[in-house]
Amino acid sequence: MSHLVGHRCVECGRLMNPRHLRCLDCNGREFEEVPPEGECRLITYSEITSLPWGIDERSRILGVVEFENGLKALGWLRTDKAKMGMRLNAGWGPVRVVGGEEVYGLTLVPAKSSSRTR
Amino acid sequence: MRGVAIVGVGMIPFGRRDEDTLVDMLSYAALNAMDDAGIGDMPIDAAYVGNMGAGLFNHQTAVASSLVDRINLFPAAAESVENGPASGGSALKNGVLAVASGYFDLVLVVAGEKMREVVGPRATDVVATMTHPQAEYIYGATLPSMAGMFARLYMPKYGITAEHLAKVAIKNHSNGLLNPYAHIHSRITLEGILTSPHAIVNNPFVADPIRLYDCCPVSDGAAACLLCPIEMVAQFKKPAIAVAGFGQATDTHTLQEREDPTDLKAVRLAARQAFDMAKLSPGDVDVAELHDAFTILEIAESEHVGFFEKGEGAKALERGQTQIGGSLPINPSGGLKARGHPVGATGVAQAVELTWQLRGEAGQRQVKNAEVGFSVNFGGFGNNVVAFVLRRES
Amino acid sequence: MDTELEALLRPPAMRMAAYPSKVITLATGKQMVVRQASRKDVPTLLDAVRPTLGIPRDYYDIVGARLYAELLGWYRYRVRDHYCLIGQVDGFLVGIVNGRMYTREVGMSYHTLAVERGLRIGAHLFAAKMEHHLEHLGQDEVWITAESPIGFRRWMIEYDLAPKEGAQHELGGASYYVLTRALWDSAKPRLCVGDRPVPRKLLSLAEEGIKIADEDTITEQILGAKRRMLQ
Repeated sequence: MSHLVGHRCVECGRLMNPRHLRCLDCNGREFEEVPPEGECRLITYSEITSLPWGIDERSRILGVVEFENGLKALGWLRTDKAKMGMRLNAGWGPVRVVGGEEVYGLTLVPAKSSSRTR
Repeated sequence: MRGVAIVGVGMIPFGRRDEDTLVDMLSYAALNAMDDAGIGDMPIDAAYVGNMGAGLFNHQTAVASSLVDRINLFPAAAESVENGPASGGSALKNGVLAVASGYFDLVLVVAGEKMREVVGPRATDVVATMTHPQAEYIYGATLPSMAGMFARLYMPKYGITAEHLAKVAIKNHSNGLLNPYAHIHSRITLEGILTSPHAIVNNPFVADPIRLYDCCPVSDGAAACLLCPIEMVAQFKKPAIAVAGFGQATDTHTLQEREDPTDLKAVRLAARQAFDMAKLSPGDVDVAELHDAFTILEIAESEHVGFFEKGEGAKALERGQTQIGGSLPINPSGGLKARGHPVGATGVAQAVELTWQLRGEAGQRQVKNAEVGFSVNFGGFGNNVVAFVLRRES
Repeated sequence: MDTELEALLRPPAMRMAAYPSKVITLATGKQMVVRQASRKDVPTLLDAVRPTLGIPRDYYDIVGARLYAELLGWYRYRVRDHYCLIGQVDGFLVGIVNGRMYTREVGMSYHTLAVERGLRIGAHLFAAKMEHHLEHLGQDEVWITAESPIGFRRWMIEYDLAPKEGAQHELGGASYYVLTRALWDSAKPRLCVGDRPVPRKLLSLAEEGIKIADEDTITEQILGAKRRMLQ
């Protein structure tokens, strides 16, 4: 289950991720937490080589996805091949070691009808 | 506000400068600018030092104070200005405002970076710290990855191909060959970087669809400008170059929160502010230095600032309009691609190049009769952008 | 020379297949001929390597010193089952790689030295020597180690190699890594390129003689030390 959380402005309903302390539309200061709903769709992605210090894989695919409730997020696609618009399921797993500590984030695998996982 | 002029410029060759410390490089560039202006013993009132990563690359902070000490600018006011890769542009903007306000007369703006002190993957990591810490950095996002995700949307929407990107690189490498200050002095060909089957090794994907030759190098270097009020220019020997306009705008930190992820809103707004202040329009520009950290950005920025309609930037490139000798030369210095991109230095290096162009001092890469110059310094991945219009005063 | 003693000191040699020359188009559009050097080329190669002994940057001195010793050892018949591949552009030497057959099945990768930098010459030549071990010498795996961070990134990360324990690479130093046939088959399409046969005129120019620049030029090429007068 994903621990990704969006924040919806109580005043105007704008859904944001990452967190802001003032609403990007109305400057409101109160928010409710909104988890992602359902599958998500890949909006854009890139397969990166020459990864930064601390990540020893040869390559990684990162992508921006949009969930059925409008929440958008960047995550790590755990698959060999990505395709624009593909449907993915969200998970929450270790993504990097920062300052000696394992950090968790959004991981994405193809939804059942899509291609194989890595 | 008073009018502000650039009366002295200087830089050092960009590249790998193992033998120089960061403050050495800043000092050489500063002294070159001061000598260019011929200021002799005239006191400098303030110094603004553009630098992004001294704390991480070089384990040094308070760089501006160190520079003042190294070249005896005492007792000038001085501070470092940090705005990611737009640190130079921001330092220049702050220097301009300082003179325009009437509070300071002679202001030195110096910007530099020493990135090669760390190995490649560490430099990649330092640069990546400008991405959102919780929403992007933790995933291993790099600046090329942001460019890759942007390009994946922008290219099909506006008809830009891999060949167009390669042609930006080829043009800028050719220009770099004419620039003794450029990091990269290497002619490249379309066959070598794209059409040959061997290009897969010569020019591999770094963050697809962005390839190695679509990315600027990792460079060391520094550049400097000396500013004064327009009323003082007669005291200096070189033709005055007025800072006719500047603009700065911001946009969301993350790509995912942009209203339209293909819209470089901060570029549009900063450019418009600069043109409005200068009372000029994009059509008045004779030469431009755009922020081609990635080749896609040269084309995208040329459209967003108003030189070409969306979808026409690549065509203009193909027609040769943006070559030296074309109707609107872009990056005659070689741009970030070939001149190099010591991240904090770039914004000031762009102003140095434009000053040389507008004075007629650009040697083999001179754009004929250049009177109005324009620059864009792109911070983060387009979330903080500074633009300038420079004009030769008659 | 005492021929009886010399016979004791010379190692017996395995029959080694020749490397078929190939030509690669570099980013500059220039053609690099990759071919096997012979023992008679060693004195020229040593002249090209010698300037690196004074360049600590990027570990050129240690790579150069070791490569110098390996080439000299090969020339004087003191290194067993050794090969050397070179890259030439317009006849000029731009890079050297070497290694040897440790056993019939296992290759030992030695060094990679790019004289001209910034054009992925090291990457091309390293791939050529992996190709030589696995496809021409008929071996099953190649042992690799790195002395510089650039080398580590190129070889270990780009080829998806994993570190091994339980043996020592002949160069000593850090853990060794193994390129297996399976890893090579996966890496080859994106890392190893070249056209064969080499057009006759190009090959003749390359085989006519290995041209090398003078010591100052070689040092400058490696250090990128031009234009300091504009400081």
